[in-house]
Amino acid sequence: MDPAGVFATSFEADAALIRTRKQWLALALFALLLIALPWLIGPRLLAILTVMLISAVVAVGLQINTGYAGQINLGQAAFMGVGAYVAGALAAGWALPFWLTIPLGGLAAAAFGFAFGLSAVRIKGFYLALTTIAAQSLFHFSILNLPWFGGSNGVTLAPASLFGFELSSDRSLYYLCLTLTTVMVCGAFGIVRGRHGRAFIAVRDDDVAAGMMGINVVRTKATAFLIGAFYAGIGGAMWAYFVRFVAVDQFTLFHSIWFIAMVIVGGMGSITGALIGVFIIKAMQETFVTLGPSLVSYIPSLGGDIVYSVMNVFLGGVIAAFLIFEPRGLMHRWNIMKQSYRMWPFPY
Amino acid sequence: MTTAIPTQSKADAVLPALVAEGLHLSFGGIVALNNVTIEIRQNELVAIIGPNGAGKTSLMNCLGGFYRPQRGRILFCGEDMTGRREDAIARAGLARTFQGTHAFPSLSVIENIMVGRHIHMHSSILQSFLHVGWAEREETRHREVAEEIIELLEIESIRHRPVGTLGYGLRKRVDLGRALAQEPKLLLMDEPMAGMNTEEKEDLARFILDVREARGIPIVLVEHDMGVVMDLADRIYVLDFGKQIADGSPSAIQRNPAVLKAYLGERGI
Repeated sequence: MDPAGVFATSFEADAALIRTRKQWLALALFALLLIALPWLIGPRLLAILTVMLISAVVAVGLQINTGYAGQINLGQAAFMGVGAYVAGALAAGWALPFWLTIPLGGLAAAAFGFAFGLSAVRIKGFYLALTTIAAQSLFHFSILNLPWFGGSNGVTLAPASLFGFELSSDRSLYYLCLTLTTVMVCGAFGIVRGRHGRAFIAVRDDDVAAGMMGINVVRTKATAFLIGAFYAGIGGAMWAYFVRFVAVDQFTLFHSIWFIAMVIVGGMGSITGALIGVFIIKAMQETFVTLGPSLVSYIPSLGGDIVYSVMNVFLGGVIAAFLIFEPRGLMHRWNIMKQSYRMWPFPY
Repeated sequence: MTTAIPTQSKADAVLPALVAEGLHLSFGGIVALNNVTIEIRQNELVAIIGPNGAGKTSLMNCLGGFYRPQRGRILFCGEDMTGRREDAIARAGLARTFQGTHAFPSLSVIENIMVGRHIHMHSSILQSFLHVGWAEREETRHREVAEEIIELLEIESIRHRPVGTLGYGLRKRVDLGRALAQEPKLLLMDEPMAGMNTEEKEDLARFILDVREARGIPIVLVEHDMGVVMDLADRIYVLDFGKQIADGSPSAIQRNPAVLKAYLGERGI
């Protein structure tokens, strides 16, 4: 709901995402901050931020697939891996430029995801989750055995370059990722507020009624997987250019579960929620990675492995806590708080 | 009250809106529909009644494409629809409202109605991705249609409320609005009055008549509430144990011995 005194006077204004002058101002300031950040923070934080941008694309894809269309997907990291490997192999083998390999990586992942989307047509819920885990093993097995991806050696690729200018510095990579993430996130907002987004939610809420409304349920589910995997593939291709070395163990089931955690913490069915989830989970991970070694140096008897295992225990705890106390995520809570603030002092 | 009382003459050149011929549907040994034949003419409000388990909802599900009859065929505006999938039938112009509530709970009222516009919208994923331009203009165009329906059903004040937070009567109204947004050539309503209080029933009956007047489409009503059926329907089909036992005007049905037997049993047992 809008603040008191703000009324839409046209259908366009009523459908707008940014509705008040203050919201425009906040968005502009946030954009300025994102542009200025590389000059304000050190290289380590900048690298973390770039990883957040890459994860944001993947998580937004998962949000569309799982949050909007309700198709549980535990193979998002595999889809990301397909994008990373295809982009990496095309760049290393054929020396294609990044503005071709990144979309092609996305398309390859979309094709892979579409195949699994077709299985979602017949199975739901728990069984679908198991099927998408199969995507994870299939990815692992194919990459190691197909001839084009360097087997267990992985793929090493040259930095992206644009008009002879090499995008290898931390800052240039950050700006490349920022641009791509902005485009993908804006696109996601466009998809979910249009007819396709409504069809996704309709299929999630009540697929029988959705079919009776003329929505092709089969095609809608497969499309959701296709879009989710495309986003993962784009994220994977960005990842390939960021680390310039692609290996299978960067895309395990664990990574898929981290992505699910991001969507749950941020809030199912909200693009902004996915972004917030990425920020929180990644920040948490990095805190563990940073604090862990110093903790071990204080108490050496703990051993180095403790960091990784504590992180996973904590992840499980966070997901469980959210599912119990805030199953609809932070965005839902935020919306409730915003509404009661605007209603105050009236209860409704 | 009504716009056009259908003519019974043989010379009527207008195709019937829907013809179902010899429908047969059985689940294992249970025969849900046994050689049921119905015909819905243009602009007609037809009620289908019958005791519990008579096969009314099975018939609806066959017409909507949710079940496939084992025998018989369904002609919709002259086109054979037998065995087509439900979304294909919906795109051909058949809309239905559901028994209970099947409105999408997490979407707002306006979004629910916009889902009904889905089949009339054409923007591709890529156009939606870009949003600005074609997709946005299309949204606005269809939003205008949706707003007309909201006005017709008098739900302006709740248009942005999620349907999950609304009461039962309002949800049923949204369900009707969503079906109207499809601009159907025929509207099927499966027990619209079930579970409503008298006031809500009166409201909904008024909206059904409003819809009939505004759209001039044939409406098929499956209903248990005899008061509503007798007041609204032009013609009534009666089913019992999957068989069609009578059809005719409300006053004729009320006096039909076969119908009385089905509902009340035989005298002198």
